[in-house]
Amino acid sequence: MAASSTAAAGRPAPPLAASLRRAGRAVAVPAGSVVFAFLMGAVIVAVTGGNPFAAYQALICGGFGLLCSGGENAGLQVSNTIVFLTPLIMAGVAVALPFRAGLFNIGAEGQLIVGAIACTTVGIHFAAAPAPVLLPAVLLAGMAAGAAWAGIVGVLKALTGAHEVVTTIMLNYIAQWLLRFLIIGGPLQLHNGFSVSSPIGAGAHLSTLLPHDDKLIVFGLPASVYRVHVGLLIALLAAGTYAFLLWRSSFGYEVRAVGQSQKAARYAGMSVRRTIILTMLISGAFAGLAGAVQIAAVDHNLTDKYFSDTTGFDAIAVALLGLGTATGIVFAAILFGALHGGGAVMQSDAGISGNLVYVLQALILFSIAANFLRTLKLRLPAVGRAAGTPAAEAPAGALAGESATALADDEGLA
Amino acid sequence: MTVLSDIGHLLLTADLWHAALAAAVLLLLPALGGVISERSGVVNIAMEGMMLTGAFFAVAADLILHDPWLSALVAMVAGGLMALIHAVVSIRFRADQIVSGIAINIFATGITVFLINRFYGLQDVGHLPPSELLPNLQIPLLDQIPFLGRVLFQQNVIVYVALILLLLVHVLLFRTRLGLRIRAVGEHPEAADTAGINVYRLRYGAVISSGLLSGLSGAFLAIGISNTFVPNMTDGRGYIALAAMIFGKWTPFGAFIACLIFGLGQAIYDNNSIIHVSQYLLSMLPYILTLVVLAGVVGRSQPPAADGIPYAPGTE
Repeated sequence: MAASSTAAAGRPAPPLAASLRRAGRAVAVPAGSVVFAFLMGAVIVAVTGGNPFAAYQALICGGFGLLCSGGENAGLQVSNTIVFLTPLIMAGVAVALPFRAGLFNIGAEGQLIVGAIACTTVGIHFAAAPAPVLLPAVLLAGMAAGAAWAGIVGVLKALTGAHEVVTTIMLNYIAQWLLRFLIIGGPLQLHNGFSVSSPIGAGAHLSTLLPHDDKLIVFGLPASVYRVHVGLLIALLAAGTYAFLLWRSSFGYEVRAVGQSQKAARYAGMSVRRTIILTMLISGAFAGLAGAVQIAAVDHNLTDKYFSDTTGFDAIAVALLGLGTATGIVFAAILFGALHGGGAVMQSDAGISGNLVYVLQALILFSIAANFLRTLKLRLPAVGRAAGTPAAEAPAGALAGESATALADDEGLA
Repeated sequence: MTVLSDIGHLLLTADLWHAALAAAVLLLLPALGGVISERSGVVNIAMEGMMLTGAFFAVAADLILHDPWLSALVAMVAGGLMALIHAVVSIRFRADQIVSGIAINIFATGITVFLINRFYGLQDVGHLPPSELLPNLQIPLLDQIPFLGRVLFQQNVIVYVALILLLLVHVLLFRTRLGLRIRAVGEHPEAADTAGINVYRLRYGAVISSGLLSGLSGAFLAIGISNTFVPNMTDGRGYIALAAMIFGKWTPFGAFIACLIFGLGQAIYDNNSIIHVSQYLLSMLPYILTLVVLAGVVGRSQPPAADGIPYAPGTE
């Protein structure tokens, strides 16, 4: 769109300026959404009798270790934020990849849960196995379980046209109830009366980035208090893998082709069904990995904490805010990791419920989906209204288009 | 074998069906809302959030007003306002309706707990006395009918309201001009627009109705069945309602039958002492059944043609 407008103006802009402008435009929408959400959030806090400045100061302290008033340790806050953002990157990729194929995976949460379950199950059953065997095994188990869970969605979509949004919602709840069954009176429960599973073997533990050493002092605290773990590197690797798959592999080309137009992809000789199923399998593997890493690095067992886990839903906001790109996902994950890290400090220092974070997240979703700014601009008479359907540019817009009917054509050709 | 015969006996008791009907109605109200909204072409996965908001405001209002009727009304308005956000974002701004629905649900979870912490201290909202709850209503004479009297005529007042609404929504959608227009807008908005029907106005109305109904269901849950609000108390019921809507193929009575099946499953589990299956495994059933229906094992379930597609005149 940027290219066509400069061409229309008749004077070709220098390439660097043009690409900078394009980058600026790309960032404008997500940045505007975040600003909008924080302004609305401030209004909500103020209307209910709170002090928005104190709230946001505490939020920034909790998220980034800056502007702290309650004696918080900056290093520890940053470490917490990184622990929060690590699974968000992997789950964000799990949502973004299907977006590119025109599929809306709102089942990352369920895929993450079964990933955590599989990782824990393997980690308990082979607790005595040595780390070089057990650690890869638990992570692979998590990926396989997540892939299978999302694979159901892919197969149903490809074969019957069942809408992935509905099937992923159903599978999210099935995963949640399965988790409750397993650790409340079920086969993985540690003791009666506690909704936790047995711990995984020590060989399945993913180590922290800093040595587990009380004598080593980092940022004024012993190194052992920092929970930043190797999972961060795995997450960054996942984001890199996503970018590679999408832009440098023939699979990624097919994914993008299917996302743009199933019909065109079919005429080009691609199998839409195969692409849909493969996309979901890989997507589920990323989400399952997020769950497995969380168990292997942070929790070491399943707990009732996972009953109210929202990583897979936060990932939707991460993927949308990151505009479906690997870099964008990492930055969006930093934002949401900081929000979740900051929520607790906001509660303790400013007396504002940490749940404001969810309100902010919802507001970001509303504004990025509605693209308030652009839609309003389209209403201005000078700009005119001939600019196509608003949904066409956002990655999520693809899902409204062709679905069951297009797949029926596929059937006829095969 | 004994398990089956015991369930058979259970199915012959009026108490079981009484409980099943109440459980079904809780799901029926948001499911009806979903049917209306999606028939008009707006995908609605936000019933969970609207219901949760309704539940919270029902209790908050009841604590101040001491009147369950007014509080139920407040709950409906609260649900309706949440729906209005969904409508504005997805109709006026033509946002992705699924993202908007997810945002509504996240917003509801966040704002209810935020408000609790702001106004009621940490978690406890407070409990309401029985006199301030939505009452059970015994229909004179009819409640004396053996079996049927217990099942149908000794229910909470919301159950009667919901059953009347079921009939009304069915008649509205399939027997009135307005209903025909709503369905036309959901199937082919361009054609409806050409015929002089106001697509936007009908869609706004339909989405807001889904909020009113979901809010009422929230009130039934919080100040009818329960007597307080706890965070996330809807616990996925709005999503089961969504499942019921799909299971029932986007029709009011189809959705009602699905709600009855789900409610009956719950009631059988609650009232038996024989089945030693974990309640958590049973809780999966509605979702598994819906997946089976979606897989086409029990006949295809097709949404309205324009469901989920924002209407932008002049773009084609």
